[in-house]
Amino acid sequence: MIFLSLLWLFMGLLIGAIARAAQIHPAAWKQHTWVSMLTTGAIAASCGGWIGVLLLGRYFATAMALWVAVAGIVSVCWGVSRISHQ
Amino acid sequence: MMRNKVHTYKHHVVHTIQPESLQADTTRRASHKKIVFVLRFFLVLLFVSGIFLSLVPRGRAIARAALLLPTLITASQPAPLVLSGEPTRHTQMTVPSRSGTVYLDIYAPSTSVPLITDARGGILIIPGVGDNRQVPQLVNLSQALARSGMIVMDMTTPTLMAYDISAQDSDAAVQAFNAFANLPGMQGKHIGLIAFSAGVPVACFAAADPRIRDKVASVTLFGGYFNTEGVLRAFGRRAIDIDGHTEHWQPTDVPILTLTNVIMKPLAPAERSRIIQALAPHGKALTTNELAQLSPGTRAAYHLLIGDEPNRVDQNIAALPAAIHAELTELSPSRAIGQMRAPMFLLHDRNDRSIPVTESRDFAAALARLHYPYEYVEFHIFDHVEVLSNLKIGQILGDGPRLFSLLSDVLFVDSQ
Repeated sequence: MIFLSLLWLFMGLLIGAIARAAQIHPAAWKQHTWVSMLTTGAIAASCGGWIGVLLLGRYFATAMALWVAVAGIVSVCWGVSRISHQ
Repeated sequence: MMRNKVHTYKHHVVHTIQPESLQADTTRRASHKKIVFVLRFFLVLLFVSGIFLSLVPRGRAIARAALLLPTLITASQPAPLVLSGEPTRHTQMTVPSRSGTVYLDIYAPSTSVPLITDARGGILIIPGVGDNRQVPQLVNLSQALARSGMIVMDMTTPTLMAYDISAQDSDAAVQAFNAFANLPGMQGKHIGLIAFSAGVPVACFAAADPRIRDKVASVTLFGGYFNTEGVLRAFGRRAIDIDGHTEHWQPTDVPILTLTNVIMKPLAPAERSRIIQALAPHGKALTTNELAQLSPGTRAAYHLLIGDEPNRVDQNIAALPAAIHAELTELSPSRAIGQMRAPMFLLHDRNDRSIPVTESRDFAAALARLHYPYEYVEFHIFDHVEVLSNLKIGQILGDGPRLFSLLSDVLFVDSQ
């Protein structure tokens, strides 16, 4: 499981970096944008992976981590933008 | 004139430098927008493919097939499967049946059953004759399927281990199927059957059995036969009619031994042992005098099995005792297809030297006539049912996509 946990963490970092480069980050995150995006990606992917193990088993957990990471980043960025607008 | 010149110069500066800078800026912005668009599209792609491969049953079957294909082709488990797959556990058990003890080898994920139980399917494998429980390619396939989250049960019987086939073994397959259905995580689920070579009739008879036929998810038959008399005919002729021409076909020792055991059963014990000795690998062919001492039916069977009268195959088949004809009919999967319910997947290597490829073609043709749901795929990368070693890239590229497509279809049906 250590390997898979590290894999999901790395996947999350990568997806966070892609999301940052795709300018998905909220305008409120003017400082430490990269760190915030990478952290969000890593946490979302790890959560997705572990939820995947529980729901579908190890074999499909990585695929689950993939979409949960993307969904997590987009949701967090959207949520932060919405809160900062209010 | 001078003023005009200056004016022209100023005019030139105003109208040449500024537009270039603007144009460069616009181009930079446009390319930046393009990159952002591509990255966002890539994220959407990751999201959609992640959902497809984890939550959609068809996607899960494709994800499984993606790592099982290299497992089959290389006859070893690739690192991604070992690292990202389930840890497996191998257990053995036996169950009684009408034909004797059924030996079961179970390969299953050692982790607990996932909450979405559809992610864990089950496959009962019936290998051919002989004791195949330690055969590396069977163990490799079973372990790889278990790593992908499936539960796999390999079964064999004393009859199959003795290089023989019996219709009674269908009860053994039914008992194994019922034992499988009681394993944790398998209650109320459909189970797929995969049979190799001489395991094919056993799987067909079990899949047609009213006790389990509505619980069978699919029937996958690899390197099997449709009609026992058709196989005997190919043995007798040492040739097959294929693609509009007659092709030389020489069977290997194991199918000769098995067919000998099958058709000699109804004969007198003395004649039976004589023929079995003569047809065994490195056995000595019977002389004319020895043949003359045999009954006409036994003599006909001998000629069919040894293939020394290719032009008298029809006469020799007609001369077989009625008991042998009955045995051949009883062991033909052709008699069971009317009672089967599950979709079928037929696989055969084009150059199979154990059972001619024409048998699976006949099987597919019969299924097509019945409008039965089936898929039939021919390969060039197997030696009967085991993958060849040192495959060329052209062979892998030719058969790989077909094997992948069939694998994902089988796994999709078996994990419903």
